[in-house]
Amino acid sequence: MSFPVLDEHRLAATDAATLRLLTGREEAWAQLDDIEDLRERAHTIRMTAIDDLDAHLDRFVAALEAAGGRAHRCATAEEARATVLRICVDNGAKLAAKSKSMLSEEIGLNTALEAAGIDVVETDLGEYILQLAGDHPVHIIAPAIEKTADDVAALLSAVDGAPVEPRLEALAQAARRQLRRVFEQADVGVTGANFAVCETGSICLVTNEGNGGLVTALPRVHVALLGIERVVPTLDDLSVLLQLLARSGTGQTLTTYTRLLTGPRRKGEDDGPEELHVVLVDNGRSNLRRGRYREMLACIRCGACLNVCPVYRKAGGGAYGPVYSGPMGAVLVPLLRGLEREPHLPHASSLCGACTAACPVKIPLHELLLDLRRDLVGEGIVSRSERLAFTLWSLLWSRPALYRLSTALGRLGRPLGALAGPGRTWAAGRALPPLARRRYRDRA
Amino acid sequence: MRVQLFATCLGDLVFPEAVEDAAALLRAAGCDVEFPRGQTCCGQPAFNAGHRRAAERLAHAFARAFSPDLPIVCPSGSCASMVAHRMPVRYEVWELSAFLDSIGAEPLARNDGLRLAYHSSCHLLRELGVDEAPRRLLARTGAELVPLARPDLCCGFGGTFSVRQPELSVAMADDKLADGGRSDALVTADPGCLMHLQARAARTGAARVVHLATALARGAA
Repeated sequence: MSFPVLDEHRLAATDAATLRLLTGREEAWAQLDDIEDLRERAHTIRMTAIDDLDAHLDRFVAALEAAGGRAHRCATAEEARATVLRICVDNGAKLAAKSKSMLSEEIGLNTALEAAGIDVVETDLGEYILQLAGDHPVHIIAPAIEKTADDVAALLSAVDGAPVEPRLEALAQAARRQLRRVFEQADVGVTGANFAVCETGSICLVTNEGNGGLVTALPRVHVALLGIERVVPTLDDLSVLLQLLARSGTGQTLTTYTRLLTGPRRKGEDDGPEELHVVLVDNGRSNLRRGRYREMLACIRCGACLNVCPVYRKAGGGAYGPVYSGPMGAVLVPLLRGLEREPHLPHASSLCGACTAACPVKIPLHELLLDLRRDLVGEGIVSRSERLAFTLWSLLWSRPALYRLSTALGRLGRPLGALAGPGRTWAAGRALPPLARRRYRDRA
Repeated sequence: MRVQLFATCLGDLVFPEAVEDAAALLRAAGCDVEFPRGQTCCGQPAFNAGHRRAAERLAHAFARAFSPDLPIVCPSGSCASMVAHRMPVRYEVWELSAFLDSIGAEPLARNDGLRLAYHSSCHLLRELGVDEAPRRLLARTGAELVPLARPDLCCGFGGTFSVRQPELSVAMADDKLADGGRSDALVTADPGCLMHLQARAARTGAARVVHLATALARGAA
């Protein structure tokens, strides 16, 4: 299955935004004394937690509960949805305010809550825009990256029933006005969690818009969705990852808000929720704990690999599916959902390796894509004809005499090359390469 | 110094002149160039498509053709990376320009007055860490190097990617060709990039694209 190129409108929006983000990262990295050392330390911190994940999760849960929070371990998306729904129902919730969470997209939370009669409103500006448009996020940190100011103005105007100017300030003001009621009236606030700190039981939320603060402080109940792999041992470890996350995502030194939440509101405190629930979601992550694929669990969801990926930048996030996209999505989604359901994603890459070079936690993304392609063949997911073609080709070309014979015949057959198969696909936009009259070996 | 020349399959079949240029550059730099006659292909197309058994057959053929005791030089960053990183036998393998630069080769001034742009092919740049050697050599031939806006951006070839994702592949080639449009020629060290970019340029009339070995040995004009 091949990806089409985005239409001109969305291509221009994606190109400009990803270029801004990737340039920001390059500049932010260049300002650090030793980015390679920091990346190496971050990789070690992530792999330490992942290599002994159960023990780290136990420590986090114990510390969370000691701070007055409640932990819910969920093996599947279904369990996670049911858990959040139960918390909402137990609290008589009518309205849930959400801060941005890709994990909530992964488990399909909004649909489940809405089906039970609970209003769900996204309060991250990008996610709010998408909710109004009925679209899925196309970028893990800049979900509405394909929308221009004019697109957003049209959506917000429809809510206001009056025109909103397509200026950044006017758009932000309109969204704030529209969302104010949600912050004031929500019974439950739902967020993701960028990290969970084992030694303190804290969850860390990294945001730029301030909506995360309102969602975690105003509603009576806070539900945080945590991917089980996002634990870090200590606050010192967290500081290493935070030095890389914003720099790699947006080029900022730190995001506008970096929130460390430890337990619900305590006696004598003025704000914060009465209940804090952390929903720990596996949903296939345990599948990744074998062999080299463990490295993918190190991902901190910064989006750097999307911004540098020429495939992502041409095809857009939607081509990869409704949730994760770019190189991290091409690796993660087949591992979470099974290769047989996502056989085309490992091939959504030219293997240029820009993702691997941009990854702040040193995940060998393009190497993992190669491993997934190996598994596609090993598990018999590729077509019989493709397997036959490579087998025949390798049998011929591993013998010099047959190589000479097949390439001589190939030259004779070349005029037919554009009629079918890969030659035809190639020739749709390109000239067929001329095979030389005399090979180098005939001249040497 | 004795070296083994690995022509690569694309070099042998599609760009034999570029391989001749590579051999001439090596000889001019004082090398004794051997061409192992049993060579075919490094097997990268199969490896990258996940067909490891097929790739192994080619790796064994490669091992029968080449000696692990002599340096191998090849006019392709991608094939050099394949031989360096994904074969059961350890070889001392060099991409052509990295090798020429390391022995202090002084190519002749074939590009005086020409404005050339160099495309950093992906595997040469990111898997072998070679980026300055091709530019240094081109500068020694008298060329003025025109910087690309994104020299490190993939040209869209990617082996089977070029036919699995034809629309994206062609769109990426167009970006690269447009980026190189302000120069007299776009130079690449990889036959894969060269084949793809030339094939697209033949349809659109875009920039001239030349193999590095040709640019160094005979000039890019």
